[in-house]
Amino acid sequence: MIPRYQRILFWSLVAGILLMAAFLLHGCEQAHKRLATPNDPTPIAAPTSSSTEDVTLYLANDADASITPATESFALPQEPSARARALIEHLLSTYSLPASAHPLQGGAAVDDVFLLTDPQPAIGARPGQLAVINLRGSFLDNHPSGIQVETLTVQSIIGTLHAAFPQVTAIRFLVDGQPHDTLAGHADLLHTYPATDTTAKPIPPSGN
Amino acid sequence: MNRVAPAQQPLPRTVIFLDPAHGGPDPGAHLPNNLLEKDLTLAFATRLRALLASSGFTMVSTRDADPTVSFTTDQRAEIANHGHSNACLVLHATSSGNGVHVITSSLTPPNELDGPHTTVPWNAAQSASIPQSLSLANEIGLSLQRAKIPVILSRSSLRPLDNLTCPAVAIEISPFTSPDGDRTPVTDATYQQNIAKAIAAALTSWRSRQIPVGAAK
Ligand SMILES: [Zn+2]
Repeated sequence: MIPRYQRILFWSLVAGILLMAAFLLHGCEQAHKRLATPNDPTPIAAPTSSSTEDVTLYLANDADASITPATESFALPQEPSARARALIEHLLSTYSLPASAHPLQGGAAVDDVFLLTDPQPAIGARPGQLAVINLRGSFLDNHPSGIQVETLTVQSIIGTLHAAFPQVTAIRFLVDGQPHDTLAGHADLLHTYPATDTTAKPIPPSGN
Repeated sequence: MNRVAPAQQPLPRTVIFLDPAHGGPDPGAHLPNNLLEKDLTLAFATRLRALLASSGFTMVSTRDADPTVSFTTDQRAEIANHGHSNACLVLHATSSGNGVHVITSSLTPPNELDGPHTTVPWNAAQSASIPQSLSLANEIGLSLQRAKIPVILSRSSLRPLDNLTCPAVAIEISPFTSPDGDRTPVTDATYQQNIAKAIAAALTSWRSRQIPVGAAK
């Protein structure tokens, strides 16, 4: 006959073994989860689309006052307003690169882009959307001042937006949410611009 | 360069509107050597005025000093439009680009089908003069080209250009970079004088091409 104290000791040890086994298993599971996380293909802050696409940028050149379309591949969000904003932000950031032919300072330039049903389409114009681009005051403060240099920035934005959003027929500008007279002393920002292909190559004066 | 004195026959009175842009609290662009655009446009207008006066032009100017309170662009347009100017020049300067930018309003001429009695809104007052403005811009461009100054003819939406009822261009002086890389700043007196001479020559040639007022349809 096994003494009573030995039976108690035996079952206590069995209980201890089971507890420790459970604790170890739990610990293993935790460690496994931690190690597996970096391989998780789900992005942390998931953009709506992580695949790149071809987009046409209408690039300005100060030396000859030209605007030339150029195709680039990069990722853009799908939601139209966010997409328009990211597109213009990307366009303006390319001008802060060292080799820029239309040098602008870097930094965030666009607060929002609103795409609205145009309430007052011009007589004879096809119905479409009005894009309202809300620029940051800091972008204007750092923009070089001059008729040509400011006009090129405006035309570059218009051409790029027109190519990506053919349904937009007119473009207006705000600065920090308010109407504003000029970009940096010259180009008119109170004007409603028609959304058109702004490709430009000024022709020299012609004799007759 | 032909420096013959004005011909003996009486010249028709040709009024040139000169608008040295900016002024007062509006400094315009900050140019090299701590120079402000408002001061450069004024100095350049003074040069141009002297050359135009000697060629028999009558001038209307928006300022001949730096006022404490400057005219708004709307007031400048009113001066030009009330003065029945034959040609309007809005003067600017910048540190971007190369040579001289001759800018015409980006407005389009009014649709012929709309008829002549259509009221023209203030913001599109220039639209009826666009063909003449483009011809004036071309004439100035040719003259600058003859003076070996790089020139770019372009279009822009700009005040007071869009509000003027005369043939009108904006002239923006920018630095001159020669093909071998030498850079002449906008502050260079000789450079400014050469531009002023080319513009005066262009206006003289343009005046001679204008159909007399009575012969217009
Ligand atoms: Zn200016």
